[in-house]
Amino acid sequence: MSHTDSMSANAHVQHHFVDSEQQFDSAKLGMWLFLVTEVLFFGGLFVAYIVYRAWNPELFTLAATQLDTVMGGINTLVLIGSSLTMALAIRYAQLNDAKKSFWMLGATIAAALVFMVIKYFEYTHKFHLGIFPGEAYTFTGIDHPKAHIFFSIYYMMTGLHGIHVLIGIGLIGWLMVKTKRGAFSAEYYTPVEITGLYWHLVDLIWIFLFPLLYLID
Amino acid sequence: MSGHHIIPMKFLLGTAGALFVLTALTVAVHYIHIPAPFNIIVAIGIAVLKASLVAMFFMGLFWDKKINTIALMLSVVFFVLMVGVTMLDTMFRDKPFGIYDKAPAPPATTSAAP
Amino acid sequence: MTNTTKPVAIREFPVEEFPETHYLNATKGLKSWMLTLDHKRIGLMYLASVIFFFFVGGLLALALRLELWEPAQNFMDAETYNRVFTLHGAVMIFLFIIPSIPAALGNIFLPVMLGAKDVAFPRLNLASFYIYLGGAMFTLYSMAHGGIDTGWTFYTPYSTNSGSAVISMTFGVFIMGFSSILTGVNFITTVHKMRAPGQTWGKLPLFVWSLYATGVIQVLATPVLAITLLLLIMERTLGIGIFDPALGGDPVLFQHFFWFYSHPAVYIMIVPGFGIISELISTFSRKVIFGYWAVALSSLAIAFIGFLVWGHHMFTSGQSELSTVVFSFLTFFVGLPTGIKIMNWVATMYRGSIWLATPMLYAIEFLFLFTIGGLTGIMLGALSVDIHLHDTYYVVAHFHYVMMGGTVFAFLGGLHYWWPKFTGKMYNETLAKIASVILFIGFNMTFLPQFVMGSQGMPRRYFGYLEQFQTLHQYSTVGSWILGVGFLLVAYYLIVSLVKGAKAPSNPWGGRSLEWMTSSPMPAHNFEHVPVVIHGPYDHHQPIAEFRMGIDAPHHDTTHA
Ligand SMILES: [Cu+2]
Repeated sequence: MSHTDSMSANAHVQHHFVDSEQQFDSAKLGMWLFLVTEVLFFGGLFVAYIVYRAWNPELFTLAATQLDTVMGGINTLVLIGSSLTMALAIRYAQLNDAKKSFWMLGATIAAALVFMVIKYFEYTHKFHLGIFPGEAYTFTGIDHPKAHIFFSIYYMMTGLHGIHVLIGIGLIGWLMVKTKRGAFSAEYYTPVEITGLYWHLVDLIWIFLFPLLYLID
Repeated sequence: MSGHHIIPMKFLLGTAGALFVLTALTVAVHYIHIPAPFNIIVAIGIAVLKASLVAMFFMGLFWDKKINTIALMLSVVFFVLMVGVTMLDTMFRDKPFGIYDKAPAPPATTSAAP
Repeated sequence: MTNTTKPVAIREFPVEEFPETHYLNATKGLKSWMLTLDHKRIGLMYLASVIFFFFVGGLLALALRLELWEPAQNFMDAETYNRVFTLHGAVMIFLFIIPSIPAALGNIFLPVMLGAKDVAFPRLNLASFYIYLGGAMFTLYSMAHGGIDTGWTFYTPYSTNSGSAVISMTFGVFIMGFSSILTGVNFITTVHKMRAPGQTWGKLPLFVWSLYATGVIQVLATPVLAITLLLLIMERTLGIGIFDPALGGDPVLFQHFFWFYSHPAVYIMIVPGFGIISELISTFSRKVIFGYWAVALSSLAIAFIGFLVWGHHMFTSGQSELSTVVFSFLTFFVGLPTGIKIMNWVATMYRGSIWLATPMLYAIEFLFLFTIGGLTGIMLGALSVDIHLHDTYYVVAHFHYVMMGGTVFAFLGGLHYWWPKFTGKMYNETLAKIASVILFIGFNMTFLPQFVMGSQGMPRRYFGYLEQFQTLHQYSTVGSWILGVGFLLVAYYLIVSLVKGAKAPSNPWGGRSLEWMTSSPMPAHNFEHVPVVIHGPYDHHQPIAEFRMGIDAPHHDTTHA
């Protein structure tokens, strides 16, 4: 890159970085470290899940029959699709194609909304049956004294995951605004890249939640 | 390779395709009812495979600086340690070694203290 | 980006003494502080906050000791006593000691020691400060709304049905966890990506290594505390039944979750202190540190092993016998890297030309106190001994020797060491030495009797006690007053130094790491040039001019467009 156009291309570099490369690498490492904390944050719930499943294997087989495998499966496919569109949004940002990047971000949000709508129907159906988290649990269809604990874990895991999806929708919406304003280019697309990392992690966690909650036999 | 790698289209589409297929596979496996310990192993195995695909190709770790991969692996290692060490308790609660009651029973008949 | 590699000239940059403008007065007004992105100012704001909360926690401690003057009720009832000791623990741990060294002193000095202009994410750094304050607000709120009487450990099932303000307190701690995580993420990234030319991993000051290891623990452990407290809050609000035995849950599982964070958190508290001690001992012995890599990597080893020993807090909880044996065995391994550090510090001092200035005095006191704290920790890690000593004053004395005799003395050492650098003022050396000795005497008088009481069976957290313990309790209480006097003296001469202290030179102690190669106080961007590092941070045998090398800073006219 010649010196003259690096003047404008470096406008995004904050004063304490030497160059764009250092800033980009730092942002990415920072995001990965944040994802490490996310893994361990959900990790605590997975520990609770594993401990209780090891204690009560029969409960988990029974309770999983109350979860809708079809809906869970569709949601898995929806999230994988949204990961693809997110990756494509990054790719188009790298290729200076802001328009396509914008639409791919839009598609990601659309998929996320589909995911949340399906989740909403799953939740309301359970509430209808009296399957609430904790002490509000009134469902009598599962003959096990600790049935409410399974659903507490279920609601904690999927609820926390759902909150992450909502945060992701907010972040990607913000990226769409910035993309519309032409903030990103092949030289500077760091926010798209690191939000993408976040979004893929949300997908990654669902990849484990799906078989662990819905596919128990 | 720098973190700026533009991931080729065929990798993105191929990864998504593989993920779709593996999702179908994990559901299919669920319906054929593999016996007890193996069903979990197969389900987790498929999930790990899917997660690796996402991490390597969607998240770009395959081309990225190694430190980012190290960070992710560290989180997995410490999660596994947390599970494993906690289960040393939860799986062995009802299996005492009797270390607390190994004290020799006082002999029934001993001479009085000297 | 740069494919035109111009030859750069490395030359010496003499340090400007007594600069007119520096980071403290570069910009003026309250807003320039509240919204600052300068790591040094954020560090100072952290420093003021942690000192304030240390004062609050200290007053609570004095109240506890006064109540224990007599075996029966003295001036507060048992309910209040429970609230006061809980608050003392929570304030000291979450509001003082966890942010004390990393977020205050570390924030000020990490980028300077690396030769960087700032941490990698200055905005996150400021955010972490305000998140910390937000968490502190929740703590104060729960204080005002009846307090909390569960002890800082929040054990279930008591915490799920105690009538006190558990939710607001745990939510405050939950929030402060995010602040700690952001600091850790920021520091790790900064160490990886922001080092000056020549500042290789083998030339990092050991304080930087210790902050790096601390960052790793913060990132790996704190999220587990967050999920634990979230589950506890859900347990109280919804009754999810994971931890509450009345609902089919398992309270021992809560202890696993809690200590998975809280044992490693002990190293969040002490490892930065180790880093300070390494700096002090090398500088004031005028010698290169003995076994640089052993000291540096032992911090990482502590960070790793520290994750495998949490169950030593649970020997009497009803966890399986297998895990008690395994945890006891693994706990002994923590002694190895810690012992390596102590040995290397002593070896560094051996045949050094020791200058017993105030910071070094604190370092030597640290060696005494921390060694006692560490060795009694080994005893508590031994399964059979712990069954006898569990939840007695022996444990209280042990962790105060580690946390206060260790971390607080290291913090004071660091504070006195770097005070001239970040304030630009010298303090009264005589008063400082007197205060240091008073603190050392007061500390031992407070906590040595507690070892004795504990081994004789005095349980911790008890409001009343048997009359046979009264003499020892009274020694301890008098000791706490001596400690209080010592801290007041420290506050007095430090404030005096701010008002009318002599101006500090750039390198009052003859240090060799980068923070001594810039003005006191530092300029707003730490250096007027880009430092180039040639020698290690403890190479006292090399000429000082060679530590001041650098290249001219590139012009950044385009960046503020
Ligand atoms: Cu411990």
